[in-house]
Amino acid sequence: MSVNTTPMPPERLLQLDDVHVHFSMREGLVRAVNGVSYHVDRGEVLGIVGESGSGKSVTARAIMRLLSKNAIEAGGRIRFRPEPGKEVEISSLPRDGRQVRELRGGHIGMIFQEPMTALSPVHSIGTQIMRTVMLHRRVGKEAARARAIELLERVQLPKPTEMIERYPHQLSGGMRQRAMIALALSCDPALLIADEPTTALDVTTEAQILELLKSLQAEMGMAIVFITHNFGVVADIADRVAVMYLGRIAETGSVDDIFYQPKHPYTRALLQSIPRLGQAPVRRLKTIPGMVPDPFNAPAGCAFHPRCAYAVPGRCDTLVPEVSLFPGDQSARCHLAGELPEEAL
Amino acid sequence: MSGTTDTMPEDALISVSSLKKYFPVTRGWLQRKVGEVKAVDDISFDIRRGETFGLVGESGSGKSTVARLILRAYMLTGGSIKFRRVDGSVTDLTDLSDRELRPIRREMQMIFQDPYSSLDPRMTLLDIVGEPLVIHGVGSRGEISDRVGELLGLVGLRPEYATRYPHAFSGGQRQRIGIARALALNPSFIAADEAVSALDVSVAAQNINLLQDLQEKFGLTYLFITHDLGMVEHISDRIGVMYVGRMVELGDTAEIFKKPLHPYTEALLSAVPQPDPRRRASGRRIVLKGEIADPANPPAGCAFHPRCPYATDLCKKEVPDLRPLGGRQVRCHHAEELDLAGVEA
Repeated sequence: MSVNTTPMPPERLLQLDDVHVHFSMREGLVRAVNGVSYHVDRGEVLGIVGESGSGKSVTARAIMRLLSKNAIEAGGRIRFRPEPGKEVEISSLPRDGRQVRELRGGHIGMIFQEPMTALSPVHSIGTQIMRTVMLHRRVGKEAARARAIELLERVQLPKPTEMIERYPHQLSGGMRQRAMIALALSCDPALLIADEPTTALDVTTEAQILELLKSLQAEMGMAIVFITHNFGVVADIADRVAVMYLGRIAETGSVDDIFYQPKHPYTRALLQSIPRLGQAPVRRLKTIPGMVPDPFNAPAGCAFHPRCAYAVPGRCDTLVPEVSLFPGDQSARCHLAGELPEEAL
Repeated sequence: MSGTTDTMPEDALISVSSLKKYFPVTRGWLQRKVGEVKAVDDISFDIRRGETFGLVGESGSGKSTVARLILRAYMLTGGSIKFRRVDGSVTDLTDLSDRELRPIRREMQMIFQDPYSSLDPRMTLLDIVGEPLVIHGVGSRGEISDRVGELLGLVGLRPEYATRYPHAFSGGQRQRIGIARALALNPSFIAADEAVSALDVSVAAQNINLLQDLQEKFGLTYLFITHDLGMVEHISDRIGVMYVGRMVELGDTAEIFKKPLHPYTEALLSAVPQPDPRRRASGRRIVLKGEIADPANPPAGCAFHPRCPYATDLCKKEVPDLRPLGGRQVRCHHAEELDLAGVEA
């Protein structure tokens, strides 16, 4: 395990190097995150796509140091730059220490799929935002209240002065999502981690939230790590994309390269299995044979080889592929990357 | 009571006319009725034999209630449902008692969204899939066991799995178990309520292909309910678009997607994030104002008017009728004048 020790380039905001997170379960050891490296530059949107069990959410929780008690942080390095010229190694800080608590909410905000898990049901929206602001900014009640109203206005909630008195259960799903975004943005974070924030929403509400996040991102210049299983959402919001499979990054690259020049067979197969609006009618959808293996018996070699149309016996089923690099900062963890036949997407 | 009528189009399997379902809103411990939710309000459509009819809409549109009414899981508040039996006779299901419905239920089945809660964890697959056969007194123990093996084979599961319990299976496999159970009595009609919405991309594609294969093999007719417009375009011959209890547009899938006639359909289609970064939604996306209307307290006139970019004074006052236009049906005062955008191929 060679951990990258070169200093982060100045534009870098967050960098993960070879991060491992394991869970010790009755059934055995689960390597939920098995050597993940990615980075986010200041002001950019990184989309992380993958199916259930790919480790995309666990990685995000590792960044926030919010893993559950039975998680084993088995290695790797997570670095973050809260302000220019300063570098914090999050992974080596005590998980409940002062520094981590300052980062959480202060420099890194997080939003979830279900706002009710993040919002307190017994405090008004205003109180929750004001407490966060008072804690991190050390300002008085009046200033915090003004800030809360400003934030609710920013996320386009109607009548912000009345809204701060409301409780989460009085709001609709879309409005709660906006309230949670306001809470996450209360201290102007440099990084927002968004874990499936639109998955539970209706299409028209999802569109509203995506447009809101895009406009906030442009306005405040924050970076976003956007986790989703929906390729449509990623295409809509991300600058760069990382595709995860069974605890590893299968492929990463610019959004255009991932969608139009995918180098990993898994990325290709996923893109082919989504029905697209307005495409010529096809009789059958292309599928990926089999299913995501259970994490207790991850396949040897490349974890995708049992489902891969191109797998080479003796190579893909025995050797874990190294990362192959391509022009334009694209990389794929596949023995055959760059040698795959051209396919219509 | 006479359940047989003949007023039904020749090619229709199910004919729904002026269907209504109002749920009471009650208050206090006396359960005093203080209002009603018009979950389904005056819906009429036919489902043709052998076709897949897609019902599209967001939360609270009443699409699931329509399916439950057709299967007579609910009593109707008004309207009628006619069903063509396997022997060609037409039965009016509207007022049938549970006992009278029992033989008909063999011919109409349902598949549910959540494969985790719709299967009893304490029953083996043999019991789950064989239960409809036992209830309808079809065959001896041995025959049932053979039939279950055959059904599991049909949905791509091994017959040996019959002795296992649902927890041993993945979400996609559980969905298949539900499909096997639905097929047990050789139905002619299956209602699938968000059947693939909870599944990962690659698994959803497998199960959609399975449903289409089974349709071809057994001449099944589907009512396919979903909020996933890409999936509905792929699978449906015709669709109905619902908004707050009412049908707003009804017709051929390809035609509606190419050129919608109702502003709500247009907004829905434009809101879907496309897996195609070069066609990012921003700019052409119609972001609707506000939220889906509350079905307990719908706006006067056209229920969509507060969010509609084309609404006029007429829309605020008068409820538009569902009327035929260009081989389709649409519920909009201005359908002729509007030039709405569909999905570009």
